[in-house]
Amino acid sequence: MSTGTEALIDSEQNEPVADAPTGEIAARSPMELFWGRLRRDKVAIVALGIVLLMVLMAIFAPLIVKLFGLPDPNVQNIDLLSDFGQPTGPQSGHPLGVDSRGRDVLSRVIYGSRVSLEVAFIATALIVLIGVTAGLITGYYRGKLDTLVSRVMDLFLAFPVLVLAVGLGVACADGCLGGAIQPGLMVVIFVITLTSWPYMARIVRGQVLSLREREFVEASRSLGASDKRIIFKEILPNLVAPIIVYATVLIPQNILYEAALSFLGVGVDPSKPSWGAMISDATDIFQDAWWFMVFPGLALLITVLAFNIVGDGLQDALNPRTSK
Amino acid sequence: MTRSSLRFLLVGMLAALAFVVAACGGDSNSSSSSDSSSSGGSAQSTDTGGQNGGKLTMLASSDVDYLDPGHTYYTMGYDVLLPTNRPLYSFTPDDAEKPVPDLAESDPQISKDQKTVTVKIKKGIKYAPPVNRAVTSKDVKYAFERFFSANVGGQYPGYFQGIEGAPTKPTTGVKPISGIETPDDQTVVFHLKDPTAVAFSAALVMPITVPVPEDYAKEFDAKNPSTYNTHVAFTGPYMVENDSSGNLTGYKPGKSISIVRNPNWDKSTDYRPAYLDSIFIRTNATDANVAARQVIDGQSMILDTNPPSNILADLVTKIKDQYTTVPSGGYRYFPMNTEVPPFDNINVRKAVMAGFSREAARTARGGKYVGDIATHWLPPNFPGFDEAGGLKGFPDLDYFNADNEDGNMQIAAKYFKAAGMSSGHYEGNDEILMVGANVDPGKAQAEVAKNQLEKMGFKVRLRLVPQDAVYTDWCQVPSKKVGMCVGAGWFKDFADPQSMLEPVFKGSLINRSSGNINYSMLNDPKVDAAMDKAALATGEDRLKQWAAIDKMILQDAAGIPFIWDKTTLVRSKNVKSVPNPYIALWDMSFTSIQQ
Repeated sequence: MSTGTEALIDSEQNEPVADAPTGEIAARSPMELFWGRLRRDKVAIVALGIVLLMVLMAIFAPLIVKLFGLPDPNVQNIDLLSDFGQPTGPQSGHPLGVDSRGRDVLSRVIYGSRVSLEVAFIATALIVLIGVTAGLITGYYRGKLDTLVSRVMDLFLAFPVLVLAVGLGVACADGCLGGAIQPGLMVVIFVITLTSWPYMARIVRGQVLSLREREFVEASRSLGASDKRIIFKEILPNLVAPIIVYATVLIPQNILYEAALSFLGVGVDPSKPSWGAMISDATDIFQDAWWFMVFPGLALLITVLAFNIVGDGLQDALNPRTSK
Repeated sequence: MTRSSLRFLLVGMLAALAFVVAACGGDSNSSSSSDSSSSGGSAQSTDTGGQNGGKLTMLASSDVDYLDPGHTYYTMGYDVLLPTNRPLYSFTPDDAEKPVPDLAESDPQISKDQKTVTVKIKKGIKYAPPVNRAVTSKDVKYAFERFFSANVGGQYPGYFQGIEGAPTKPTTGVKPISGIETPDDQTVVFHLKDPTAVAFSAALVMPITVPVPEDYAKEFDAKNPSTYNTHVAFTGPYMVENDSSGNLTGYKPGKSISIVRNPNWDKSTDYRPAYLDSIFIRTNATDANVAARQVIDGQSMILDTNPPSNILADLVTKIKDQYTTVPSGGYRYFPMNTEVPPFDNINVRKAVMAGFSREAARTARGGKYVGDIATHWLPPNFPGFDEAGGLKGFPDLDYFNADNEDGNMQIAAKYFKAAGMSSGHYEGNDEILMVGANVDPGKAQAEVAKNQLEKMGFKVRLRLVPQDAVYTDWCQVPSKKVGMCVGAGWFKDFADPQSMLEPVFKGSLINRSSGNINYSMLNDPKVDAAMDKAALATGEDRLKQWAAIDKMILQDAAGIPFIWDKTTLVRSKNVKSVPNPYIALWDMSFTSIQQ
């Protein structure tokens, strides 16, 4: 590991030494320290298990649906609707009931995880990429570029995010940026990324501003290291912890964001199963068809909760001082 | 460790919450079932033994388009117009096919050559304050003349351009029409260019025939747009509240309309019983679920339109005695744009008509209680329906009849093969642009239609947009090349088959710039010629000719008519009301409250 990991070791040294074992002292790498702390957090481990399950469910959705003998998520079966076109509840063959088009709710919930996770991971990756780049450059070089980019960030942060997102979603419904953004999932990812990157950039920029004045950076600079080396070898490694923590917070946030956009009707193609869209469709008939809202709602809730808990666990394990 | 246990608690609480929510959903079912009453029977006879007095509240999902009788062209506008104003002829709740004289004294007299129509108007009908004078035939003439002015903007000039001297374009200012004569105060004579008196007489129920006093309205009509909309002079049993200068203080656009009795109305001149003392219309009750529940559980209220299908289910199965259904007098259809691939191929269109499940589309709107599955265009309870095969339609059209309501893929395959697609499914690469509303039932219908087309192998791109944009921004604009417009429907203007087919399918009426309602872009010279001929026919022959045109349009495979709507009307328990089949809404001048 590079010198940048000093920060982690450094923080460990600041811990009270009262309960430190008096026996032999073994050398532990920062990674081992991190795993050791994370393992002790049972809740986080359970949540991590749930997250992994969700990811597996998303990847193997077609297989799981087939295994349970469920119909495909877009199969409309009007025989499962009442005389009034109302959905019927849990029954054999359809354990979570059907929705108002006669589509199997369980099948749609399973497929819905695909949309949620796809959007969440891709958007988060893009936000991290753009946010970290912008934060590093502005924080490290400062000057006019910093002023310019920071004002742009301020501009984005001043917008009511959801209103901007809905507006963009509608404007891009036919694709935008000269066809670079295709209608559907890409629009949602685009909207989420565009409205969320400044938060990431701000956090990174703040960290960089303080890191660049630290002694080890000064030392590196006095040894004649290039900007590139200082940014990538000295500063960036120290940002890993906050970036990971913030990214894990972003993932559930983006899942909810996608659900909100789908709920408001500017999300993915309406026939594509999405938890947010399912909840939106279910609101009008909730009194008569609770299953239609409760199950996608639970899926959303469990996933978001699990990601949040994992995020907390990671933060505690990476940066023990903050939790005390 | 405290943090960890807190997290567990949180998970537990949320799980418990989900349970409560679930239980709540189940509970409401059983509680509302206890409301059900045993009196049963939804059908109501049009007996008129109502009690006088009381105030009725109508919850409406939208506002009237206009109060101005020369400008309104929307059911909600008609619903307010009928109790407050008097056209020459109008429909009682009893008969959807034959209008009765209203402002007119008797049926129109048609000359032998079918080119002159004479109407006598009743004596003793007076305008409400502040006009306070008797209605004369000149007021009817003025109403027609102002209709054509740009300031008023009448919306159905096609029905009345057959009058001699009628303008073909909107006029600047109100211009006299030479073909309308008023030999005395009680007589109006219409001279027509062609022998079209039968269709013309049928159209005399339109709001254009509501009298407008020129001396009073002139100053309002001079403005652009005319401000008569907020200064209407009323002739019916009721009037919108106004002040001494005629300003309609009771009309708050987008919020409410308060209607009170017209002190100058003479009961002996009118067939309307007019039991109520006043009517209050809340025009911003946009949450259909909430509004319907309020009406069902509340007092002295009616709903303006169909309840959502989940509430319809409650009404039919549990509540039973607080609704009635009435045929809407129209068809809903999925037009297929004959100019846009792949629908430019008639065999592909016929294949779609054969394979498309109309049953599924109807279920999306609420199932069998919302109407009959259409087998052709002219709807039930409408002239020409029986001549066009009634509910059975045309059994000789194998791709569209009463036997393939749920779609028949074998027959579809036959036509796909005729189009050169040997697999019996669509094989091309053309993507269909489908546009529909982003709220139910339009959205539900769009999802079903997309599914049906995908079943046959088509690629569909679905655009869901706000309700008003569906037509004005997409379907009515040919350059947008909408392949299938979801949620299209056509409802009667008056009881004549010409009005049901000609505006929607006549090729010569296609408007390529905007406002085009021939969504199918059907331009078949044979259909046009048959329409021109049938327009002049009378009596039984007229109905037969239009029924034949109905079939021709099916043979052109211009679209899939899938439902002949019924409107379900909802009322509070203490409201006694009857529907008016002309507008398919509650008739407020026949409604009473049981005290």
